[in-house]
Amino acid sequence: MGKGMEHRAGSVMVVGGGIAGVQAALDLTELGYYVYLVEKEAVVGGVMAQLDKTFPTNDCSL
Amino acid sequence: MLTNADFLSLEGKPGDFTAKVRLRPRYIDADSCTACGLCTQYCPRHHVDDYNEGLSLTRPIHIDYAQAVPATYYIDPESCLHLQHDTCQICVPVCQSHAINFDQKPEELDLKVGAVILSPGFGKISEETLEKYGYNRHPDIVTSIEFERMTTASGPFMGEVKCFSDGRHPKRLAFIQCVGSRDLGCNNGYCSSVCCMYSIKEALVAKEHDPEVDITIYYMDIRTQGKEFDKARERAEAIGIKFVRARVADVTPWENRLQLTYSTLDGKHYFEPYDMVVLSVGLESPRDARGIAEKTGIDLNRYDFCETSTFAPLTTSRDGVIVAGAFQGPKDIPESVTQASAAAGIAAGMLTKQRGQGIVHKSYPEEQPMDEEVRIGVFVCHCGINISSVVDVHNVEESTEDMEGVVYHTDSLYSCSQDAQEVLKDKIKEHNLNRVVIAACSPRTHEPLFQETLKDAGLNRSLIEMVNIRDQCSWVHANEPEAATDKSRDLVRMAVAKARGMKPLPEQTVPVTPRAMVVGGGIAGMTAALSIADQGFETLLLEKGKTLGGNLGLLNHTLAGDETAKELKKLVARVQKNKKISVATEAELTAISGFIGNYASVISTGSGKKKTEQTYDHGTVVLATGGHEHRPGGYLLDKNSKVMTQMELEKRLAGKAKNRAPSSVVMIQCAGSRGDDLNYCSKVCCNHAVKNALQIKEINPDSQVIVLYRDMRTYGYAEDAYREARLKGVVFIPYEIANKPEVYEKGKTLHVKFFDSIMQEDMDLTPDLVALSVGIVPEGTEELSKLLKAPLTNDRFFLEAHVKLRPVELPVDGVYVCGLAHGPKPLDETIAQAQAAAAKAAIPLVKGFVSVAPIVSIVDEEQCIGCSLCASLCPYGAIEMIKVDKKRKARTIAASCKACGICASHCPTFAITMGGFTNEQINSQISAFGDVGEKETAEVS
Amino acid sequence: MSEQYNPRILGFLCNWCCYAAADAAGVSRFQYPPNLRTIRVMCTGRVDPAFIFRGFIEGADGIFTGG
Repeated sequence: MGKGMEHRAGSVMVVGGGIAGVQAALDLTELGYYVYLVEKEAVVGGVMAQLDKTFPTNDCSL
Repeated sequence: MLTNADFLSLEGKPGDFTAKVRLRPRYIDADSCTACGLCTQYCPRHHVDDYNEGLSLTRPIHIDYAQAVPATYYIDPESCLHLQHDTCQICVPVCQSHAINFDQKPEELDLKVGAVILSPGFGKISEETLEKYGYNRHPDIVTSIEFERMTTASGPFMGEVKCFSDGRHPKRLAFIQCVGSRDLGCNNGYCSSVCCMYSIKEALVAKEHDPEVDITIYYMDIRTQGKEFDKARERAEAIGIKFVRARVADVTPWENRLQLTYSTLDGKHYFEPYDMVVLSVGLESPRDARGIAEKTGIDLNRYDFCETSTFAPLTTSRDGVIVAGAFQGPKDIPESVTQASAAAGIAAGMLTKQRGQGIVHKSYPEEQPMDEEVRIGVFVCHCGINISSVVDVHNVEESTEDMEGVVYHTDSLYSCSQDAQEVLKDKIKEHNLNRVVIAACSPRTHEPLFQETLKDAGLNRSLIEMVNIRDQCSWVHANEPEAATDKSRDLVRMAVAKARGMKPLPEQTVPVTPRAMVVGGGIAGMTAALSIADQGFETLLLEKGKTLGGNLGLLNHTLAGDETAKELKKLVARVQKNKKISVATEAELTAISGFIGNYASVISTGSGKKKTEQTYDHGTVVLATGGHEHRPGGYLLDKNSKVMTQMELEKRLAGKAKNRAPSSVVMIQCAGSRGDDLNYCSKVCCNHAVKNALQIKEINPDSQVIVLYRDMRTYGYAEDAYREARLKGVVFIPYEIANKPEVYEKGKTLHVKFFDSIMQEDMDLTPDLVALSVGIVPEGTEELSKLLKAPLTNDRFFLEAHVKLRPVELPVDGVYVCGLAHGPKPLDETIAQAQAAAAKAAIPLVKGFVSVAPIVSIVDEEQCIGCSLCASLCPYGAIEMIKVDKKRKARTIAASCKACGICASHCPTFAITMGGFTNEQINSQISAFGDVGEKETAEVS
Repeated sequence: MSEQYNPRILGFLCNWCCYAAADAAGVSRFQYPPNLRTIRVMCTGRVDPAFIFRGFIEGADGIFTGG
C-alpha cells in the first residue's frame, strides 16, 4: 500500500463533493486557497446530478 | 480533486491539521482515458446502475453519466470479472489509449490542511420506513428519486413513465408526502424542507409528459415557503394537479392497480385506486454521520445531523471544522450553495496569513507577433468512433485542401487528449500557423482547453474557432452519414471563413479597489461586514437609522432559546471594535457609479442642516437593507388595542405586565400574506407564532391558544417546536383563503369568526387577544434597484443572478445581496447568507483585478454619432456616454460587458462590433454558408 | 417520386441557451433532419437584421434564431 505526503500551505480540505462541496471548493480557490476535494464516489456532483429538473423554474440540473 | 476517496482521520489544530485520506483505485488512468465509452460496450458483465437508482443495468467498467466530472471511466471491483475471478481483461486491448491499468493499488495520503469543510450531504430513508407504504410489496410503488430518474430524458427509460408491473403508462398518479419526515416512528421528527417542492416539480414534469395523467398530492402541510415557491404550487393547481390534506394509512395491491387508504381532517376515511404511487422521501442524516463525527470530533444533534446554533449556523463544535449543506440540516440547492460559499468564506477568514501560498501560478510564453499572411490549420477529430462512425472525417479534412488561407490540415483520433495537445503545439510551430480551426465537439466544453494550448504555443487565445461536428452533427444524424458529412464540410467551411477574420484580442484586466461597502446595519449587514473584515479588507457599513441592529433589536429570544439582546450586543461590539470596519449611521447611499472593482458611491450622512455628503471608492457592494413587518388592513390592526402583530406580542410577553399572557388568544397566520395583500409566504411567521404560543403556555399554562393557519410551515427542526406546542394543548385549525377568519367588533367586544374545518361548523369566539402573523416587506429596494440597475422580483425583493447556483449574487457584477432584502427568512439563514455574500464580495478584492474576456463590444469613435441608443438598450449598464472633443461618444465599460451584442446589432452606423464576433466575421460565415454551389472548390468571395 | 424538398436553413444560436440545448440534444442522441447550418453567437441580441437579409440573399430557404 502506497503512502504519500502532501504538504501545501494555505490549503483546505472539503469532505463531500456534492453541490455544497463543489461550490465551497470553487469559492475557496477563488479566495486564494488550495483545495483538496475528497469524494467517496467516482464522480463529483452528488444527488443534484441525479435530478432531472430543478424547482421552481424547472431548469435542467446538470 | 480526490474521487473514490475515503476520509480516514483528522488530527491537529486549526491552521495545522493533518488529514488522512485513502484513494481507492479506479483501474483506469485518468490522464489517458478519453471517455470514449468503447470499454463499456465490450465489457461482458452486468452491473446494477446505482446512478439510476438501480432502475437499469450498466457494466462494471463505466461512467455514471456523460457529463460526469472527472470524465474518466472507472471499474467497480464488486462485479468486475478480472478483479473478482482473475479472468476476462477484454477491456485492456479494447482501449485505444491504453488507459486500463489493473495494477493500481489503494493509496493513502496525509494532507496538511488549515481548515476542513464537511459537506457529506444526506442519506436515504430506510427501506423499513418505505415498506410502511407498501414499497417492495408492489413494483409500482416508487420513491421520488426513482421517479425523477424515470422522467429524465437521459435516464434509463428515456423519459418515458411506465408502470414496472406491466409497462402501461400510468393514468392515475399519487404522491405521498412526508415519507420518513415529520415521523417519530422512524425517529425523524424534523421536516425535510425539500419534498413539497420536488413533488410539485415532478408532478409538473409528469403532466408535461402526459397532459392526461391525473395527479393527486396527499399532504399534511404544503411547505413551499421559499422565495417564489408558492407560485409554482399555484401553477400546479392551475393545470389540474390536486392537493388533498390527508394522512395516508396504507397502500395495498388491488387487482393490477394500487389502492390508497387515507383519512382527512374531519376524520373520514377514503379509498382511491391509482396506477402508480410515488413516495416523497425525506432527507436522512448522512449514512456515515457518526463515523464523520468520531473522526472529526464534532457533535451531532438528536437526529444525527451536525449540531450548530442559530447565531453560528455553520460552526461545528470543533475549531477549524465547518459544515455546509444538508449535513447541517435538510435543505434545498440554493440554501446548500449559500452555505457552501459561507463556509468557504469562514475557512478563508481563518487562514488569511496563508492565503495564496498553495496556489500555483502558470506562466506562458510571450505571444508571437502576427504575420500579415493568414495561415490556418484545420484539425478534424474522430472522437474515437463518436464522429468517424458517421461522418467521413477524411473527406471533411480533404475538403479544406484548397480553401483560402488553409496551409495545413490533419485528423486526430482524440484531439482533446494530452498527446494531441502536444501535436497541436508542434504543428503550430512547424507550419507557422496563426489561426486554428478544430472540428470536434462543443466549444462550450472544450474551447478553454484549446485556448490554453494556443497560449502554450505562443498564440493569442482568440485565434481558435471550433466546429461542433459531434454533439450537433454525428450524434444527431446517426442514420444519415452522407448528409452529416455534407453538413460537417459546410460547417468547417463557414468556420474557416470566420477564422480568416480572427484577430488577436488583448486580455484586459482592470485593477480593483480593495474595499467593500455594506448597505444596511442589521444582523445581515453586520455579519457581512465582519466576514469581509476577517478576510482582511476595509469595509464601510452604512446604516439608515441611528443605531445598528435592525429587526434583531426588536426580538427577545429565538425559537432555539438564544437571547437575542445578548447576541446583538456582542455583535455590535465586535463591529465597533473591528479596525477594518467604519460605521456610518444615519447614512444613505445617494448615488453610485462605476463597475465591479471600481465603484464610487456618494453617501449622505446626518439630517437637515447637518447633512453632509462624501464619496467612497470601493470594489464591491453587499446589499443588506432588510425589511419590516407588513401591517395588513382588514383585521382591526391599529384600530383595536387587543389586535397586535406577533412582534408586538413577543415584546409584551417579554415584559412584566401581569396579564401579559391572557387566558384566550387567537393567532391568525398569513394575515395579509399569500394572496391576501402580499402575494408570497414570509417563511418566518409560523415559527414566530409557535414560539409565542409556547411562551404563552409557559407563562400561563391554562391559556387557550388557537392558531388559525393555512399551512403550518415549521420546516426543518422547527417541526419539533410545533409538535411540542400541540402536545401542550395549543389548538391548530386550518382555514382556506376563500373563507378566511374575520375579526370584528360588536360593541366593545372583539370577535373572531371562522369556519372550523375539524368540527365542520362556523365558530365565533371572543378572545382576549388576537395576534396576527403578518408578512415581511422589503425596505427601500426600489430606490436601490434604480441606482444599481439591479432587477427586483414582482414582490420587490432583489432578484439573484441565478436562483439555484448564484443565490447571493445580483446580475450586476460586484453587487451581492443577503438577508430580508433577498427574501423573507429566519435568523440562521440570514447569517449564513450574509457570510456567503461576504465571501463572494471578497473574491474580486482578493484577486486584485478583474479580467475581461476579450469578446466584449468595441465602439469605433470615428463612426459613433453619439445617439446613445446602445447605452439605453444595454441590459448590464455597460455602455457609458463620454465627451470626446466636445462630442458625445459611446464607450464600453469592458468589466461590465457580457458580450451579448445587443449594442452592435442596433447601432445605426455599425460603429460597434464584438470581439471574436465581428460583423465581417459573421458576414463571411453567412457567405460561406451560401457558397454551396462552389463547395467542391470552396473558394469564398 | 421527384426529389424531396430539402431546404437549407441557417441558424443563429445563443451560446448560453440554444447552442447548449443543441449540445444536449446530441448528448441525448435525439435525431433531427440535417438541414441546419449554424452560427454561434454569444446572445441572439447580436443578430443584426442585416444578417438575416444576407442569409436569404445567400440562398437560405429559412432562418432560425434560437435564444
